[in-house]
Amino acid sequence: MAVQEGLLYTEDHEWVKVDGDTATVGITDHAQEQLGELVFVELPPVGKEFAAHKEIAVVESSKAAGDVYCPVAGKVTEVNEELGTKPERINEDCYGAGWICKLTIADKKSLDNLMDAQQYQEYLKTL
Amino acid sequence: MQGSTPSGQFVFEAPETEPVGSVLFEEHLKLTAKARMSPFAGYVMPLWYSSIAAEHRAVRETAGLFDCTHMGVLEFSGGGAAGLLNVATTNDVGKLAVGRAQYGYVLDAAGDVLDDIIIYRRGEQLFMVVVNAANEPKVKAYFRELLAGRVVIEVEPNRNGLEPCEPCIIRDMRNTSSGADCRVDIALQGPAALDVLARLAGDEATAGRLSGLKSFALAEVSLGGIDCVVSTTGYTGAKVAFELFVHPDQAPHLWNLVLEAGEPSGALPCGLGARDSLRIEAGLPLYGHELDGKFAITPFQAGYGWAVKLDKTFFIGKKPMVRAAESYDMQVARVELPATKGIRPVRQDDPVLDGQGTCVGWILSSAKVDEKQYALVYAARDAMQEGAGCGVYYLARSESQVQQGRRQSVDKGQKVETDLAGTVVSRFAKF
Repeated sequence: MAVQEGLLYTEDHEWVKVDGDTATVGITDHAQEQLGELVFVELPPVGKEFAAHKEIAVVESSKAAGDVYCPVAGKVTEVNEELGTKPERINEDCYGAGWICKLTIADKKSLDNLMDAQQYQEYLKTL
Repeated sequence: MQGSTPSGQFVFEAPETEPVGSVLFEEHLKLTAKARMSPFAGYVMPLWYSSIAAEHRAVRETAGLFDCTHMGVLEFSGGGAAGLLNVATTNDVGKLAVGRAQYGYVLDAAGDVLDDIIIYRRGEQLFMVVVNAANEPKVKAYFRELLAGRVVIEVEPNRNGLEPCEPCIIRDMRNTSSGADCRVDIALQGPAALDVLARLAGDEATAGRLSGLKSFALAEVSLGGIDCVVSTTGYTGAKVAFELFVHPDQAPHLWNLVLEAGEPSGALPCGLGARDSLRIEAGLPLYGHELDGKFAITPFQAGYGWAVKLDKTFFIGKKPMVRAAESYDMQVARVELPATKGIRPVRQDDPVLDGQGTCVGWILSSAKVDEKQYALVYAARDAMQEGAGCGVYYLARSESQVQQGRRQSVDKGQKVETDLAGTVVSRFAKF
């Protein structure tokens, strides 16, 4: 299962890319693999604020639905509109073209609760 | 409480056991990631290898190979075998010829469906019965109790146990105690399946025997040097359908031989995902969903009244089946809905609406097939005429959807907005 260096990870298999005050959020290779071919993504409304661990998006394959939890508290500034018609982008390129949304991070200290690539890799082995 | 109650119900609580790998577990790990394996009916089974869509397509266009070794295989033999099966199942075993197979039900005296089964007649006094993996412990316990005379076979007048009959020996064909006779099920389904088996048989006589088989028939042949009971049955709707019953020790070898022989045709190994989407597209019932389950769906509501022979003098559960056949308002129907990208998939329990948005039933199973999704639904008969327009409402699937006002349940007769419009299609798809 691919884990990308330089990203932060949650136990629920979301990834975060931090760039200044902006966090880009997506789901990991492990998550997309578990779900199978995605057919539907429910994106959050731009401008809405989310607390950490709140459900921010829903990803559905023909067999399963998965909740995407907000990895860090923040306000949604942008969503990946392409997923509306091409949800399979997440399967094809979960760390790139398959990103889900961008947030303005409310409190950067909360990033400390996330795992780095190596820790996530180790975490995956325990599953 | 376990066993037969005075009201004729057979109560059984399956012991909780850790799921184990099937006899093909090691072969699956060579073909798919462990993350794609999932517990199912006591076994750890592959969900998919390449993708559900590719495997589904393989069965419709070439062939697909399925691990069905988790299915229960029981043997009934002896002078009393035919008589016992005729009393304990709904179809007419007296009319089942040697070399043929028959679909039917095992009911208790209360009319509850214990399982849907296929009976294969290998000889005058030799039957092989294939039961659902999830129901196997219950069905085995039921027959054990039945043979011991501890099952209520009729409620009014109250009758316990069977009339004296000739002996019938029941063996679990997957248990090693059955020795060389042990059998487990591997299914090869799809238009190229016969070519694949002919290639594997390597001789024209065997290939000829297989190609001459009618649907629901069987032959005892050697494939790649392995003794098999080959039947023309399946659970995919494919017109060309085979199940290969093989000794468990030889199952991995046969599995690999079939995959090898299937490669030129583009045959693929298929997991539980495609197994489900194929049977849903075809309109075939799954026990616990389109049969029995929380709605206690009868064979008549499921569309299989023909497999319940009410003209038989007696079978266990006959009286309640006579009543079940007389009148029912709800039935299983098949609905076609769009599934282009970006359309949220419908799910089990989502309410089914008539053309006016009134709830007439609920979804039992659903699957995406290319740009369409098929749902098997439990709904009012009068609203489910072929060609009728219908709709689905998406129930809330998360806390945030509840907060946004999405309902968590809808009762029959309630009016709600239609989220996705579809059409009632013929119950069984033809391929």
